[in-house]
Amino acid sequence: MKMLTKIALVLIPTITLSTAALSHDPEMHKMANEKADCKNMDHSKMDMKDPVAMAMMKKCMQQSEKTEIKVDHSKMDHSKMSAEKSKVKKDDSHSSHNH
Amino acid sequence: MKIIKLFIAVILLIISAISAVMYSGIVNVAADEPHTDLVYWLLETTREKSIEVAAQNIDVPDLSDPELLLTGGMDYEFMCSSCHLKPGRNQSDMSLGLYPSPPNLTIKAEEHDGHKHRDSTQTDRKNFWVIKHGIKASGMPAWGKTHDEQRIWAMVAFLKRLPTLTPEQYQILTALD
Repeated sequence: MKMLTKIALVLIPTITLSTAALSHDPEMHKMANEKADCKNMDHSKMDMKDPVAMAMMKKCMQQSEKTEIKVDHSKMDHSKMSAEKSKVKKDDSHSSHNH
Repeated sequence: MKIIKLFIAVILLIISAISAVMYSGIVNVAADEPHTDLVYWLLETTREKSIEVAAQNIDVPDLSDPELLLTGGMDYEFMCSSCHLKPGRNQSDMSLGLYPSPPNLTIKAEEHDGHKHRDSTQTDRKNFWVIKHGIKASGMPAWGKTHDEQRIWAMVAFLKRLPTLTPEQYQILTALD
């Protein structure tokens, strides 16, 4: 039994490490970027009549709309938020210990 | 009568020769061992002619709608880019390992090696047919079994613009919503 444990202790890390050594750059198997990188879009160089430019604009606008929906401030209860904030401030102002 | 006997003998000889080659196992089917020039030419010519004839009557719709680039771009990224590459990448596991090697669709059709290219409409027809039906024993699947024609035309529209895209443009067009 002890022998088996020893063999397992040697073999498992060896096999795991050798598999990693055989495989290539894991970057190549990454899924597509989840979001369009619209920050680097240079509007001045774009021909707005070109379908590629139009498609890119549409994609970035859709993405920005979705982000705004995700952070929809109109649905937030600001009264509760300010209460939370003041509570935090109050908690923060206690002097029972050093910060 | 002699001619008939001779004809039957030749046919039997051909069948015997083909059987001997098949069952002897001397044909190397390894993907890392290329065909001879003659075999490659035979297969390539057969394939190109077959696609040309099969696709000749396909009606090509208007492919200028920008929306097609977005739909086709996402599908290309997930279904095609690992073999047919993307802007800024010259090779992948699949492009190196498959035989025949999948064409690099990020370069213009005229720059592909090995076969001639026709006009733009004929290329669109050919691309549509190949995406829909796939190609036997080449690694190219028949996407028509799981994708409707509208989605396949969107991929054709994307392929038309792919060689002109920068890596940045490609990233935006193919990103998930």
